[in-house]
Amino acid sequence: MKTEKKSVIAELHEQSLQKQETFIKHIANRLGREQPLTTPPKRSVSGAVDSWRTHTLDPEERISQFLMNWESLGGSAVRLADMAEAKNYLDRLIGEMKAKKIIREDHPELAQIVSESPDLHLTVWGDKDFAAMRKAAAEAEIGIVMADFAIANTGTLVITSTPQRGRSLSLLPTIFVGIVKAKDIQTKMGDVLSVIQTWNGKEMPAGIHFVSGPSRSADIESDLTIGVHGPSIVHALVIG
Amino acid sequence: MGGFNPAVKLEERIRQALNDEFLRNAVKFTTGRLRSSKQQAAEQMGNWEEWRERGRQIRLHTIAHLDYYLNQFVQNLREAGGYVHFASTAQEAVEIAMQIMEEKQAKSVVKSKSMVSEELHLNDAMAAKGIEPVETDLGEYIIQLAGETPSHILAPAIHKNRQQIADLFSEIGGEKLPADTAVLAGFARSQLREKFLQADIGMTGCNFAIAESGSFVLFSNEGNARMCSTVPRTQITLMGMERIIPSWEDLEVMAAILPRAATGQKLTVYMSAINGPKRAADGDGPDELHVIILDNGRSQQLGDPEFQEVLNCIRCGACLNACPVYRHIGGHAYGWVYSGPIGAVLTPLLNEDQDQWGEVANASSLCGACYEACPVKIPLHDMLVYLRRRNVEAGRTDATERLGMKTYKVAVSSQRFYQLALKLGQFGQKPLARNGEITAKVGPLEAWNRLRVAPALAKKSFRDSWKELDMELQHELVELKPETKARMEAILRKRGNSHEN
Repeated sequence: MKTEKKSVIAELHEQSLQKQETFIKHIANRLGREQPLTTPPKRSVSGAVDSWRTHTLDPEERISQFLMNWESLGGSAVRLADMAEAKNYLDRLIGEMKAKKIIREDHPELAQIVSESPDLHLTVWGDKDFAAMRKAAAEAEIGIVMADFAIANTGTLVITSTPQRGRSLSLLPTIFVGIVKAKDIQTKMGDVLSVIQTWNGKEMPAGIHFVSGPSRSADIESDLTIGVHGPSIVHALVIG
Repeated sequence: MGGFNPAVKLEERIRQALNDEFLRNAVKFTTGRLRSSKQQAAEQMGNWEEWRERGRQIRLHTIAHLDYYLNQFVQNLREAGGYVHFASTAQEAVEIAMQIMEEKQAKSVVKSKSMVSEELHLNDAMAAKGIEPVETDLGEYIIQLAGETPSHILAPAIHKNRQQIADLFSEIGGEKLPADTAVLAGFARSQLREKFLQADIGMTGCNFAIAESGSFVLFSNEGNARMCSTVPRTQITLMGMERIIPSWEDLEVMAAILPRAATGQKLTVYMSAINGPKRAADGDGPDELHVIILDNGRSQQLGDPEFQEVLNCIRCGACLNACPVYRHIGGHAYGWVYSGPIGAVLTPLLNEDQDQWGEVANASSLCGACYEACPVKIPLHDMLVYLRRRNVEAGRTDATERLGMKTYKVAVSSQRFYQLALKLGQFGQKPLARNGEITAKVGPLEAWNRLRVAPALAKKSFRDSWKELDMELQHELVELKPETKARMEAILRKRGNSHEN
């Protein structure tokens, strides 16, 4: 449905298409080219330094390094045998924190281990509208997701956004729980980035978040504060 | 607003900074902490120099082919559903941003740290239209409440103490808050949480834009950049046109050097890659995403052999923490958006009015610590010399300095004149020198000594001492065991080779 008058955004877009030509041509001219380059330039080096590219840890080392790094950043990290153990861990956490409201990703394995009870209100991501979801995530004490990957070297969980797994889950609640399968722990960031590279184009999720520990700031007299905007308590559960 | 008052001359700004004891101590403490964390992180890496060189290579290549990579980025971002806008000047960028905000009938905009936004003075433009800009980085929030501007690229409120912050927060909270970091941070969190949930638009900067996928990447520790790109329905991202890297694998290098150089962290708490607006079925993320790409003087540096490399900068702040001048005077004395050595270079380069901004290049000691600290090896100290040369060539120096330089030229043109000048100096300084220092503000020393202390000339010059020194050295060398001597010479040779830079 088109109205006679074009929207401001559509006008800006047309203006941008025209401006792009002069803007980029000006850059090309400054670089000594009459027209912008249209073929990919040759590169002598790209990506990480050579010694790092071949760096790889065996699976057990990856797990222990991830756990250690996550802890050193101020998070809690634990290795569990299976999802049944994860359920026990979560039940205990919910009890200790006296949590009343929690929110989780819509994931079949999480459905097995997180359920509602008379004292516990559970929201599953995706079953309400945008505003209601946001409100539920902001009010929840605990947000639970399955992470896509972990990175051993930096102590990082990698979480993509999907219709079942909103960005808010790992951001708005006070406590964040990220669950990762042991096999999905990579040695270094480059190992994850090379997978992401294969998603270029249609398969790319709108957001990919690398999370390393609790939210922090040193903006007041260089004094470290935990939990400024994001979660202040973060648990990483390694399964397997 | 504090910090952006061009009516106050550089010298006056420096005088104000030097007279603020809290500022001097706070800047020294924070920069010292950041600097030693960075050194530790670099040492732990083992091959920091190799990473630095790799970072430099990637930035050099990208800037040299910016036309290609920028087009590629724009095309991919549009395919992912994002809008891209081009702005040649700050004014154009403001107009585009304001049009989007007005179209969305925005009443409030939450912002995460963006130096480009400071370049545009966007907050003033928004306030003029009745739109509330809310800075959400804790440090930026503090200085916004104080009506000031950032004094450090990473620690913008470095110049504020806890009590001042407690007073600011108490005023808006309507109750007396204690000067306690946890309480103050908690107060800011709850205030800003409300702002996030009410905001119509989220605005962010851009650390890196990935050409091959049209993605851009945000680094933050607090999580406010994530909030701005998650909660509001519309997102506007401001990006300097040089922020590009070619591919995801290059991101590993930037992610390795930026946080380490900035704060000594292996990685910031959050690194977020944003790939277009939210997908149709996603439950959160912006419905509409706008990226404004800004030139504002940057393209003038392209093709300039002296300054093109300044576009390699990844805005880590390491040069500020290493700079002896910044560590004394803090950020506001530089007068514009960027401070420290990178500010002393960028300010005259990105601003047209050289009578106004040219002198900022003098706020440096040319010691080269900035180059040593830079994770992409920008030769900032050389650029400062080039800028000073520009000032001299354009006649932007005062008469005393020109006379001094002429005299110096004569004095060093022959050995006889030089020795004569030296003797005259040693004689002339007698009534002024105390403990090897001259503090009197007289004659040609007036301008120098207003803000510094000049060292006195040595009683005996190096030239006078040379004969003795030479003999001592000869003597020592003879006494060395032949194998020790050989080893030392080998070390010296090796060191010579590694000093190619």
